[in-house]
Amino acid sequence: MQRVAVMFSDEKDASFWEGTLNGIPRLLKISVDNDLEASLERLRRAGGSLRLVILSARLYPGEHPELAAGIRAACPGSEILLISSSEEAAPQLKPLLVDNVRHLAFNSPLDAGRDREYLPGIVSRIVDRRPWEISTCLRKGTAIHSFQLLSSEDKEPLIGALETLLAGDGEEHEMLRQKGSLLADELLENAIYDAPRAPDGSKIFKKGERRVMLPEERIVFSFGFDGETLALTLTDSWGSLEPEVVLEHLARNQEGDPVTDEGGRGLFIIWRFLDHFHLNVQPGLETVVGGHLQLSSALDPLLPRGFHLTELNQGDAA
Amino acid sequence: MNNESTIRDLSAPHDFFALVGTIDAQSEPFFKALPAKVRHSLVKFDFTRAGRINSMGIALLLRCFKEIRQGKQAEILLEGLSPMNTMLFKMTGVFLLATPVAAAGSSQDGGK
Repeated sequence: MQRVAVMFSDEKDASFWEGTLNGIPRLLKISVDNDLEASLERLRRAGGSLRLVILSARLYPGEHPELAAGIRAACPGSEILLISSSEEAAPQLKPLLVDNVRHLAFNSPLDAGRDREYLPGIVSRIVDRRPWEISTCLRKGTAIHSFQLLSSEDKEPLIGALETLLAGDGEEHEMLRQKGSLLADELLENAIYDAPRAPDGSKIFKKGERRVMLPEERIVFSFGFDGETLALTLTDSWGSLEPEVVLEHLARNQEGDPVTDEGGRGLFIIWRFLDHFHLNVQPGLETVVGGHLQLSSALDPLLPRGFHLTELNQGDAA
Repeated sequence: MNNESTIRDLSAPHDFFALVGTIDAQSEPFFKALPAKVRHSLVKFDFTRAGRINSMGIALLLRCFKEIRQGKQAEILLEGLSPMNTMLFKMTGVFLLATPVAAAGSSQDGGK
């Protein structure tokens, strides 16, 4: 039974991605070659079992903006993962928002070795509906430091603890420390002030105010560094961050007028400073936001990053 | 919030503000009051001693710079930016309102 399909623009496109997609079992490969209808028909025939359709950015959204809707019709219930070469123009996020495409990954020739492991891992998690975990991107045996917050006053000491873990000389370490502390700041602010919501959806707390955690509230900040990769994650017990809202924030901040003050800038900064951004949300129960970045990242800091926005219901997680 | 400002040489043809420490939600009173202090058509901000700037800090800077540009018709120059803050300002659109220049300590620093 094939659970994953991939659609390429043509054989050249397929050849470009071949190495990166190696390791994905029983992959249904479709080269569109200008015959979109026949390609969708092949998908439709396999539709019942497909959990994920991987889509080359050579096809969508630029060349065939209607393709995501066609895939949704052919394989209802499947997720779509857009794959884009970091050597080409990054896809605009607005169409992804409209089509509810929640997974984006980039392939960089400079990161070829790492990406060969990365994409099959991501695909396996999406298909099995397993949430991303911080330990998966760190070397085996790396210590994961976890802290449960008791009040907003814990924020700065936790950022300090992260900076201490990232101690080291040189420009790379200094940059990683600064990125890490900003990421920690944004993740913590998001959990302390944005996540808590009243029944009507309004925010309970104002940014910057001092507060203690509510009796049933749980906010946990975790991070680990294996000497090359920093991974960090923030878990809150609100489950109030919706994937489509996150995508809307990313799209608006990528394309919109930054001077307008419509919010979501913190999530945008988190996305851009991580090498890969992950959100797992169980509505009303738990939100996990995090990702990882490299000490010597080859990624252009001003270009979009991959993201994986996953909504899990109880019983989905392994 | 530990931002502090120093307005140097009020007779010079520009205003000068040096920012110190973290710029975040705690900095709101400082940045709200800042545009009213602008007297010249050129305003320089020195970030040499600025620390972490989070998304709330970026929002405050954008609001403040917008008010200075629109309300005071003034040009804004940014000095002493670290590589990290340069990256952050590029990706959040701060440079649409203010122009980065050579680090503080150059001939543009202080008393014109």
